[in-house]
Amino acid sequence: MTEIFAAIEQTPLSIWMREDFYAYFIALIFHSIGMALLVGGGVLVSLRYMGFAATARLDRFAGFFPVMWAGAALAFLSGLALLAAYPAKALTNPVFGLKFAALAGATIILWRTARHIQSVRDSGSQLSSSTRWLACVALMLWLCVVVFGKLLLHTASVLMVS
Amino acid sequence: MDPIFSPDAIEAWAKAVGIYQLMNTSWAWPTAEIIHFFGICLLMGTVGMFDLRMMGVARGVSMHALHRLVPLGVAGYLMCAVTGSFFIVTAPAQYLYNPAIQTKILLMALAGINVAIFYLFSSRAVLASAESGAAPAPARIAAFISLTCWLGVITAGRLVTFFRPPEFWCLWCTPA
Repeated sequence: MTEIFAAIEQTPLSIWMREDFYAYFIALIFHSIGMALLVGGGVLVSLRYMGFAATARLDRFAGFFPVMWAGAALAFLSGLALLAAYPAKALTNPVFGLKFAALAGATIILWRTARHIQSVRDSGSQLSSSTRWLACVALMLWLCVVVFGKLLLHTASVLMVS
Repeated sequence: MDPIFSPDAIEAWAKAVGIYQLMNTSWAWPTAEIIHFFGICLLMGTVGMFDLRMMGVARGVSMHALHRLVPLGVAGYLMCAVTGSFFIVTAPAQYLYNPAIQTKILLMALAGINVAIFYLFSSRAVLASAESGAAPAPARIAAFISLTCWLGVITAGRLVTFFRPPEFWCLWCTPA
Protein backbone atom coordinates (compact mmCIF):
# COMPACT_ATOMS: atom_id res chain seq x y z
CA MET A 1 0.00 0.00 0.00
CA THR A 2 2.87 2.35 0.78
CA GLU A 3 3.88 2.37 -2.89
CA ILE A 4 0.34 3.24 -3.94
CA PHE A 5 0.13 6.10 -1.43
CA ALA A 6 3.54 7.36 -2.57
CA ALA A 7 2.44 7.23 -6.22
CA ILE A 8 -0.75 9.20 -5.44
CA GLU A 9 1.28 11.76 -3.49
CA GLN A 10 3.38 12.39 -6.59
CA THR A 11 0.43 13.04 -8.93
CA PRO A 12 0.02 16.65 -10.14
CA LEU A 13 -3.37 16.91 -8.36
CA SER A 14 -1.91 15.79 -5.03
CA ILE A 15 1.06 18.15 -5.28
CA TRP A 16 -1.23 21.06 -6.30
CA MET A 17 -3.60 20.36 -3.40
CA ARG A 18 -0.71 20.48 -0.92
CA GLU A 19 1.32 23.31 -2.38
CA ASP A 20 -1.25 25.76 -3.73
CA PHE A 21 -1.98 28.58 -1.28
CA TYR A 22 -5.77 28.24 -1.54
CA ALA A 23 -6.61 24.79 -2.93
CA TYR A 24 -6.70 22.82 0.33
CA PHE A 25 -8.78 25.43 2.16
CA ILE A 26 -11.23 25.79 -0.72
CA ALA A 27 -11.69 22.00 -0.73
CA LEU A 28 -12.23 22.10 3.06
CA ILE A 29 -14.88 24.83 2.67
CA PHE A 30 -16.74 22.90 -0.04
CA HIS A 31 -16.49 19.71 2.03
CA SER A 32 -18.00 21.44 5.08
CA ILE A 33 -20.84 23.04 3.10
CA GLY A 34 -21.55 19.78 1.29
CA MET A 35 -21.57 17.78 4.52
CA ALA A 36 -23.75 20.37 6.28
CA LEU A 37 -26.32 20.18 3.46
CA LEU A 38 -26.21 16.37 3.31
CA VAL A 39 -26.19 15.70 7.06
CA GLY A 40 -28.59 18.60 7.76
CA GLY A 41 -31.04 17.28 5.16
CA GLY A 42 -30.59 13.74 6.48
CA VAL A 43 -31.34 14.94 10.01
CA LEU A 44 -34.44 16.79 8.75
CA VAL A 45 -35.86 13.75 6.95
CA SER A 46 -35.03 11.49 9.93
CA LEU A 47 -36.80 13.87 12.31
CA ARG A 48 -39.88 13.96 10.09
CA TYR A 49 -39.99 10.14 9.99
CA MET A 50 -39.61 10.06 13.79
CA GLY A 51 -42.78 12.12 14.10
CA PHE A 52 -41.56 15.71 14.32
CA ALA A 53 -43.47 18.25 12.18
CA ALA A 54 -46.02 15.48 11.66
CA THR A 55 -48.50 17.74 9.89
CA ALA A 56 -46.08 18.36 7.03
CA ARG A 57 -46.84 16.07 4.09
CA LEU A 58 -44.09 13.48 4.01
CA ASP A 59 -44.20 12.88 0.26
CA ARG A 60 -43.39 16.54 -0.40
CA PHE A 61 -40.12 16.18 1.52
CA ALA A 62 -38.75 14.59 -1.65
CA GLY A 63 -38.33 18.19 -2.81
CA PHE A 64 -35.38 18.52 -0.43
CA PHE A 65 -33.55 15.51 -1.87
CA PRO A 66 -31.94 17.41 -4.80
CA VAL A 67 -30.40 19.81 -2.24
CA MET A 68 -29.04 16.85 -0.28
CA TRP A 69 -27.71 15.10 -3.38
CA ALA A 70 -26.02 18.36 -4.42
CA GLY A 71 -24.45 18.49 -0.94
CA ALA A 72 -23.38 14.85 -1.29
CA ALA A 73 -21.77 15.53 -4.69
CA LEU A 74 -19.95 18.59 -3.31
CA ALA A 75 -18.74 16.65 -0.25
CA PHE A 76 -17.68 13.67 -2.37
CA LEU A 77 -15.70 15.66 -4.95
CA SER A 78 -14.01 17.87 -2.35
CA GLY A 79 -13.39 14.78 -0.22
CA LEU A 80 -11.62 13.13 -3.16
CA ALA A 81 -9.42 16.22 -3.56
CA LEU A 82 -8.58 16.19 0.16
CA LEU A 83 -7.86 12.47 -0.05
CA ALA A 84 -5.59 13.03 -3.06
CA ALA A 85 -3.57 15.56 -1.05
CA TYR A 86 -2.79 13.21 1.83
CA PRO A 87 -3.90 9.66 0.92
CA ALA A 88 -1.88 7.91 3.65
CA LYS A 89 -3.22 10.25 6.32
CA ALA A 90 -6.80 9.07 5.73
CA LEU A 91 -6.36 5.54 4.43
CA THR A 92 -4.10 4.36 7.27
CA ASN A 93 -6.60 5.66 9.83
CA PRO A 94 -9.35 3.21 10.88
CA VAL A 95 -11.57 6.16 11.77
CA PHE A 96 -11.78 6.98 8.04
CA GLY A 97 -13.30 3.53 7.47
CA LEU A 98 -15.77 4.12 10.30
CA LYS A 99 -16.79 7.47 8.78
CA PHE A 100 -17.41 5.80 5.43
CA ALA A 101 -19.31 2.91 7.00
CA ALA A 102 -21.60 5.36 8.84
CA LEU A 103 -21.99 7.45 5.67
CA ALA A 104 -22.81 4.35 3.60
CA GLY A 105 -25.35 3.16 6.18
CA ALA A 106 -27.04 6.54 6.43
CA THR A 107 -27.11 6.93 2.64
CA ILE A 108 -28.63 3.46 2.15
CA ILE A 109 -31.37 4.32 4.65
CA LEU A 110 -31.89 7.67 2.90
CA TRP A 111 -32.15 5.85 -0.43
CA ARG A 112 -34.76 3.50 1.04
CA THR A 113 -36.50 6.53 2.52
CA ALA A 114 -36.68 8.14 -0.91
CA ARG A 115 -38.33 4.98 -2.28
CA HIS A 116 -40.64 4.80 0.73
CA ILE A 117 -41.71 8.40 0.22
CA GLN A 118 -42.64 7.38 -3.33
CA SER A 119 -44.80 4.53 -2.03
CA VAL A 120 -46.41 6.80 0.57
CA ARG A 121 -47.24 9.21 -2.23
CA ASP A 122 -48.70 6.37 -4.36
CA SER A 123 -50.69 4.53 -1.71
CA GLY A 124 -51.29 7.07 1.03
CA SER A 125 -50.11 4.50 3.61
CA GLN A 126 -49.08 5.43 7.16
CA LEU A 127 -45.63 5.13 8.69
CA SER A 128 -44.91 1.90 10.55
CA SER A 129 -43.05 1.79 13.88
CA SER A 130 -40.17 -0.01 12.16
CA THR A 131 -39.83 2.96 9.81
CA ARG A 132 -39.62 5.27 12.81
CA TRP A 133 -36.90 3.09 14.35
CA LEU A 134 -35.03 3.09 11.07
CA ALA A 135 -35.16 6.88 11.14
CA CYS A 136 -33.65 6.83 14.65
CA VAL A 137 -30.83 4.61 13.35
CA ALA A 138 -30.31 7.00 10.43
CA LEU A 139 -30.12 9.96 12.81
CA MET A 140 -27.48 8.14 14.88
CA LEU A 141 -25.54 7.30 11.71
CA TRP A 142 -25.56 10.95 10.59
CA LEU A 143 -24.23 11.87 14.03
CA CYS A 144 -21.54 9.18 13.66
CA VAL A 145 -20.54 10.65 10.27
CA VAL A 146 -19.87 13.98 12.04
CA VAL A 147 -18.13 12.33 15.00
CA PHE A 148 -15.77 10.22 12.88
CA GLY A 149 -15.22 13.05 10.40
CA LYS A 150 -14.08 15.38 13.16
CA LEU A 151 -12.02 12.67 14.87
CA LEU A 152 -10.05 12.08 11.65
CA LEU A 153 -7.93 15.15 12.31
CA HIS A 154 -7.15 14.10 15.87
CA THR A 155 -6.42 10.42 15.26
CA ALA A 156 -4.22 10.49 12.15
CA SER A 157 -0.76 9.07 12.83
CA VAL A 158 0.73 9.26 9.32
CA LEU A 159 0.81 12.38 7.14
CA MET A 160 2.74 11.29 4.05
CA VAL A 161 4.81 8.30 2.98
CA SER A 162 6.96 9.86 0.25
CA MET B 1 -3.48 48.34 21.67
CA ASP B 2 -6.92 46.86 22.16
CA PRO B 3 -9.25 49.19 24.14
CA ILE B 4 -12.04 46.60 24.28
CA PHE B 5 -10.67 43.09 24.72
CA SER B 6 -7.80 41.82 26.81
CA PRO B 7 -6.75 38.34 25.68
CA ASP B 8 -4.76 37.87 28.89
CA ALA B 9 -7.76 38.75 31.07
CA ILE B 10 -10.05 36.47 29.05
CA GLU B 11 -7.59 33.59 29.33
CA ALA B 12 -7.18 34.24 33.06
CA TRP B 13 -10.97 34.11 33.45
CA ALA B 14 -11.10 30.84 31.48
CA LYS B 15 -8.47 29.40 33.81
CA ALA B 16 -10.31 30.66 36.90
CA VAL B 17 -13.59 29.00 35.88
CA GLY B 18 -11.90 25.81 34.61
CA ILE B 19 -12.80 26.07 30.90
CA TYR B 20 -9.12 26.41 29.95
CA GLN B 21 -8.15 23.25 31.84
CA LEU B 22 -11.15 21.36 30.44
CA MET B 23 -10.41 22.36 26.84
CA ASN B 24 -6.76 21.36 27.23
CA THR B 25 -7.62 17.76 28.10
CA SER B 26 -7.04 15.30 25.26
CA TRP B 27 -10.77 14.74 24.61
CA ALA B 28 -12.52 18.07 25.21
CA TRP B 29 -11.39 19.99 22.10
CA PRO B 30 -12.35 17.22 19.62
CA THR B 31 -15.64 16.73 21.49
CA ALA B 32 -16.38 20.46 21.28
CA GLU B 33 -15.56 20.37 17.52
CA ILE B 34 -18.01 17.48 17.06
CA ILE B 35 -20.77 19.30 18.97
CA HIS B 36 -19.99 22.50 17.03
CA PHE B 37 -20.34 20.88 13.61
CA PHE B 38 -23.39 18.83 14.58
CA GLY B 39 -24.96 22.09 15.76
CA ILE B 40 -24.29 23.58 12.32
CA CYS B 41 -25.86 20.51 10.68
CA LEU B 42 -28.95 20.87 12.91
CA LEU B 43 -29.12 24.55 11.97
CA MET B 44 -28.82 23.80 8.25
CA GLY B 45 -31.26 20.89 8.48
CA THR B 46 -33.98 22.97 10.12
CA VAL B 47 -33.47 26.72 9.65
CA GLY B 48 -31.59 26.24 6.35
CA MET B 49 -34.27 23.96 4.92
CA PHE B 50 -37.02 26.30 6.17
CA ASP B 51 -35.19 29.08 4.31
CA LEU B 52 -35.06 26.93 1.18
CA ARG B 53 -38.78 26.16 1.50
CA MET B 54 -39.54 29.89 1.69
CA MET B 55 -37.37 30.36 -1.40
CA GLY B 56 -39.56 27.89 -3.28
CA VAL B 57 -37.85 24.51 -2.78
CA ALA B 58 -40.07 21.53 -1.81
CA ARG B 59 -43.33 23.35 -2.43
CA GLY B 60 -46.11 21.46 -0.75
CA VAL B 61 -44.26 21.02 2.54
CA SER B 62 -46.26 23.12 4.97
CA MET B 63 -44.13 26.06 6.12
CA HIS B 64 -46.13 26.11 9.33
CA ALA B 65 -45.26 22.47 10.07
CA LEU B 66 -41.62 22.92 9.01
CA HIS B 67 -41.38 25.92 11.29
CA ARG B 68 -41.99 23.60 14.26
CA LEU B 69 -38.47 22.24 13.69
CA VAL B 70 -36.89 25.68 14.02
CA PRO B 71 -36.45 25.26 17.83
CA LEU B 72 -34.09 22.37 17.01
CA GLY B 73 -32.15 24.80 14.83
CA VAL B 74 -32.00 27.20 17.77
CA ALA B 75 -30.66 24.31 19.86
CA GLY B 76 -28.04 23.75 17.16
CA TYR B 77 -27.17 27.44 17.27
CA LEU B 78 -26.75 27.27 21.05
CA MET B 79 -24.52 24.20 20.70
CA CYS B 80 -22.35 26.22 18.30
CA ALA B 81 -22.38 29.34 20.47
CA VAL B 82 -21.34 27.52 23.65
CA THR B 83 -18.59 25.43 22.04
CA GLY B 84 -17.44 28.41 19.95
CA SER B 85 -17.16 30.51 23.12
CA PHE B 86 -15.10 27.76 24.72
CA PHE B 87 -12.70 27.82 21.76
CA ILE B 88 -12.32 31.60 21.95
CA VAL B 89 -11.81 31.95 25.71
CA THR B 90 -9.30 29.07 25.74
CA ALA B 91 -7.08 30.70 23.10
CA PRO B 92 -8.30 34.32 22.78
CA ALA B 93 -5.17 35.61 21.06
CA GLN B 94 -5.68 32.98 18.32
CA TYR B 95 -9.24 34.04 17.65
CA LEU B 96 -9.98 37.67 18.57
CA TYR B 97 -7.75 39.20 15.91
CA ASN B 98 -8.48 36.60 13.25
CA PRO B 99 -10.34 38.11 10.24
CA ALA B 100 -12.19 34.83 9.67
CA ILE B 101 -13.65 34.82 13.20
CA GLN B 102 -14.55 38.51 12.93
CA THR B 103 -16.31 37.84 9.62
CA LYS B 104 -18.08 34.84 11.14
CA ILE B 105 -19.36 36.85 14.11
CA LEU B 106 -20.41 39.70 11.78
CA LEU B 107 -22.40 37.27 9.63
CA MET B 108 -24.00 35.75 12.75
CA ALA B 109 -25.02 39.25 13.87
CA LEU B 110 -26.42 39.97 10.41
CA ALA B 111 -28.37 36.69 10.53
CA GLY B 112 -29.69 37.71 13.95
CA ILE B 113 -30.90 41.11 12.70
CA ASN B 114 -32.41 39.42 9.65
CA VAL B 115 -34.32 36.90 11.76
CA ALA B 116 -35.60 39.71 14.02
CA ILE B 117 -36.89 41.61 10.97
CA PHE B 118 -38.44 38.40 9.62
CA TYR B 119 -40.34 37.71 12.85
CA LEU B 120 -41.43 41.33 13.14
CA PHE B 121 -42.76 41.78 9.62
CA SER B 122 -43.08 38.55 7.58
CA SER B 123 -43.48 35.49 9.77
CA ARG B 124 -47.26 35.74 10.30
CA ALA B 125 -47.99 35.77 6.59
CA VAL B 126 -45.60 32.86 6.05
CA LEU B 127 -47.04 30.71 8.83
CA ALA B 128 -50.60 31.43 7.73
CA SER B 129 -49.97 30.57 4.09
CA ALA B 130 -51.45 27.51 2.42
CA GLU B 131 -49.56 24.21 2.34
CA SER B 132 -48.27 24.61 -1.20
CA GLY B 133 -48.33 28.39 -1.11
CA ALA B 134 -45.44 30.66 -1.92
CA ALA B 135 -43.86 32.85 0.73
CA PRO B 136 -44.30 36.62 0.28
CA ALA B 137 -41.42 38.46 -1.40
CA PRO B 138 -39.99 40.01 1.84
CA ALA B 139 -39.88 36.54 3.42
CA ARG B 140 -38.13 35.11 0.35
CA ILE B 141 -35.52 37.87 0.60
CA ALA B 142 -35.10 37.21 4.34
CA ALA B 143 -34.67 33.49 3.59
CA PHE B 144 -32.02 34.22 0.97
CA ILE B 145 -30.12 36.52 3.37
CA SER B 146 -30.39 33.91 6.15
CA LEU B 147 -29.10 31.05 4.00
CA THR B 148 -26.29 33.20 2.60
CA CYS B 149 -25.27 34.21 6.12
CA TRP B 150 -25.17 30.61 7.38
CA LEU B 151 -23.20 29.38 4.38
CA GLY B 152 -20.87 32.34 4.96
CA VAL B 153 -20.56 31.36 8.62
CA ILE B 154 -19.46 27.85 7.61
CA THR B 155 -16.98 29.29 5.10
CA ALA B 156 -15.52 31.76 7.60
CA GLY B 157 -15.33 29.02 10.21
CA ARG B 158 -13.22 26.87 7.92
CA LEU B 159 -10.92 29.83 7.20
CA VAL B 160 -10.05 30.34 10.88
CA THR B 161 -6.96 28.14 10.61
CA PHE B 162 -6.04 29.81 7.30
CA PHE B 163 -5.66 33.13 9.14
CA ARG B 164 -4.04 31.74 12.27
CA PRO B 165 -1.50 33.98 14.04
CA PRO B 166 0.80 35.76 13.31
CA GLU B 167 -2.12 37.21 11.27
CA PHE B 168 -3.33 40.21 13.28
CA TRP B 169 -6.50 42.03 12.26
CA CYS B 170 -7.92 44.63 14.62
CA LEU B 171 -9.86 47.58 13.20
CA TRP B 172 -10.81 48.85 16.67
CA CYS B 173 -7.27 48.78 18.08
CA THR B 174 -5.26 51.95 18.63
CA PRO B 175 -1.53 52.25 17.87
CA ALA B 176 0.57 51.20 20.87
